[in-house]
Amino acid sequence: MGGDESMPVDSSSPVTSLVRRGRRSRRTRASASFEDRLWHVATRVAVSLPLLGLAFVVVILAVKAWPAIKVNGPGYLTSSSWQVGNFYGSIQHTHGVAHPQGAIYGAWPLIAGTLESSLIAILIAVPVSIGTAFALTERLPTWLAQPLGFFVEILAGIPSVVIGLWGVLELGPFLAQHVYPVVASHVPNVPVLRYLRGPVGYGEGLLTSGLVLSFMIIPIISATTRDLFRQVPVLPKEGAEALGFTEAEVARRITIPWVRSGIIGATMLGLGRAIGETIAIAMVSGSVLGSVAPNLYGTMTTIAATIVSQLDSSLTDATGFALSNLAEAGLLLALISIVVNLAARAIVRRSGRLMAPVGRG
Amino acid sequence: MDETRSSTTPGSLDPVLARLDPDRGRPAQVLETVGLNLAFGSKTVISGVNIGFQRGTITALIGPTGSGKSTFLRTLNRMNDKVYSFRHEGEVLLDAESIWSPRQDLLSLRRRVGMLFQRPNPFPMSIRDNVVAGVKAHGIARGKQLDVVAETRLREVGLWDAVKDRLHDSPYRLSGGQQQLLCLARALAVGPEVLLLDEPTSALDPLSTEAVEAMLRQMTPALTLIVVTHNLGQARRLSDQTMFFYDGRLVEHGPTAQLFDAPREATTQRYVHGLIG
Repeated sequence: MGGDESMPVDSSSPVTSLVRRGRRSRRTRASASFEDRLWHVATRVAVSLPLLGLAFVVVILAVKAWPAIKVNGPGYLTSSSWQVGNFYGSIQHTHGVAHPQGAIYGAWPLIAGTLESSLIAILIAVPVSIGTAFALTERLPTWLAQPLGFFVEILAGIPSVVIGLWGVLELGPFLAQHVYPVVASHVPNVPVLRYLRGPVGYGEGLLTSGLVLSFMIIPIISATTRDLFRQVPVLPKEGAEALGFTEAEVARRITIPWVRSGIIGATMLGLGRAIGETIAIAMVSGSVLGSVAPNLYGTMTTIAATIVSQLDSSLTDATGFALSNLAEAGLLLALISIVVNLAARAIVRRSGRLMAPVGRG
Repeated sequence: MDETRSSTTPGSLDPVLARLDPDRGRPAQVLETVGLNLAFGSKTVISGVNIGFQRGTITALIGPTGSGKSTFLRTLNRMNDKVYSFRHEGEVLLDAESIWSPRQDLLSLRRRVGMLFQRPNPFPMSIRDNVVAGVKAHGIARGKQLDVVAETRLREVGLWDAVKDRLHDSPYRLSGGQQQLLCLARALAVGPEVLLLDEPTSALDPLSTEAVEAMLRQMTPALTLIVVTHNLGQARRLSDQTMFFYDGRLVEHGPTAQLFDAPREATTQRYVHGLIG
């Protein structure tokens, strides 16, 4: 029929030739092929950008950190001194790397501070966030839940420097005067809780940092969890109620398990933020390099906070060794973040495989 | 005709058996509504229903969509109580005691009056844990006993052979019919006296429907079943009594055969003949 008269037909069937002719119609062909090629190039660029970005950052950091890595060796991860040396004294060489006399770097307190403060933040933030999400989705009437949910989202957008300022000016001193002493004198001398005893300091330190961090990640986790809870279908929840479950049992056995992997993901998002949080911690940690906090009130610092607080003075090290050490710290931080991310994925996959609803019940 | 099936009049039985009857001394009507009016806000959904449910029988609730039969059903174990703006007047009596009486514990009411839903709703836990979820919550059994409960109930609904090798797997990989049977096993496991079924087979294929119906028939007279269904054939096959709801009112009720073959009301006649729906 029509296909044969206007177009030369190749050996294929009439149907394919019709289809081809339709696609190849007139002037659009050239521009379409250009658009097509542009599309292919653009998607390829877009898909490789994150990868390139990550590789670029890691490679640059590694190159910058290389002198420090050579001098410090693996002891960097376990030793506790952070001596920049005398920037204006004689210059020494170790393994061919120039550095100021007396420069000894060990990042253990920074690593410990980072992990401890983030852990405290997560331990506080996860239950609070799940409770908040529950209140917003299940307990409160809409006229109250909506504005409250809005405030939670606003809270997520407050710059960390503002929260840090509040932490160092208000929260820290208040806790050190009115709360920490009471806690410290009433907690029994048993493992774990022991770290809540001892001198309480002036409000700058590990626990205050953890609290400030938790304020920063609660909005993230609770907003995500609230959206997850909204997706839980009503039928399994009603089934549980009809079986005589209490409201708490419905939450614990149906709602939370239903979105467990999502909650883990949200937690890891918060953990990532806590591990990398810089300026607020630089303000409330007490910024003590070179020693691990002896108890929860002790002053400390984290990798991120150290990088920002040491950057200025490191630039005055003519050998560049101080800067190289900050690069090594940065590399370490990036690695910790990546490991946390991978761990999160593994956990999500495992818990997902166990009981995630496939399709809908 | 079918009323004889549930009659446990002591005279007709061996006196020894009669004494062993667990329902001895209880009212013949396990559930009864007295002047029941139900409303959401200002919209009345059910008005003036006075009806009793004979112990050990199957009652079908039929009627067009929006006739109030589902609302009526969900009221019987107080599932509507937490719905915003739900209001009720009149009484629902379970063994002659109001389900809203302060002495009535909501959780144990729901243990006694179980429910099976329109679509299968397994919980996000293993197949075995699904079956014993209610048993655990009510502290009826524990430890090793739970495995026995799980096996007994799964056998009861004919699912045991299909799932015995994957008791610890996710229930969401079962077929829809199997999932519904699992939910039935779960509802039976807490030992309810009444089971409310809200279109229990509307999401199932004909073969699964048949399996579920067969199961339900076996459960009387130990259990009282109240089934909301849009499937008139199912109502006819399954039930002893049928109640026809129309526009929020209980238009007619009676033995199933009579209601279908010789309805008293014109509306009922037109509905069962498919003229309104």
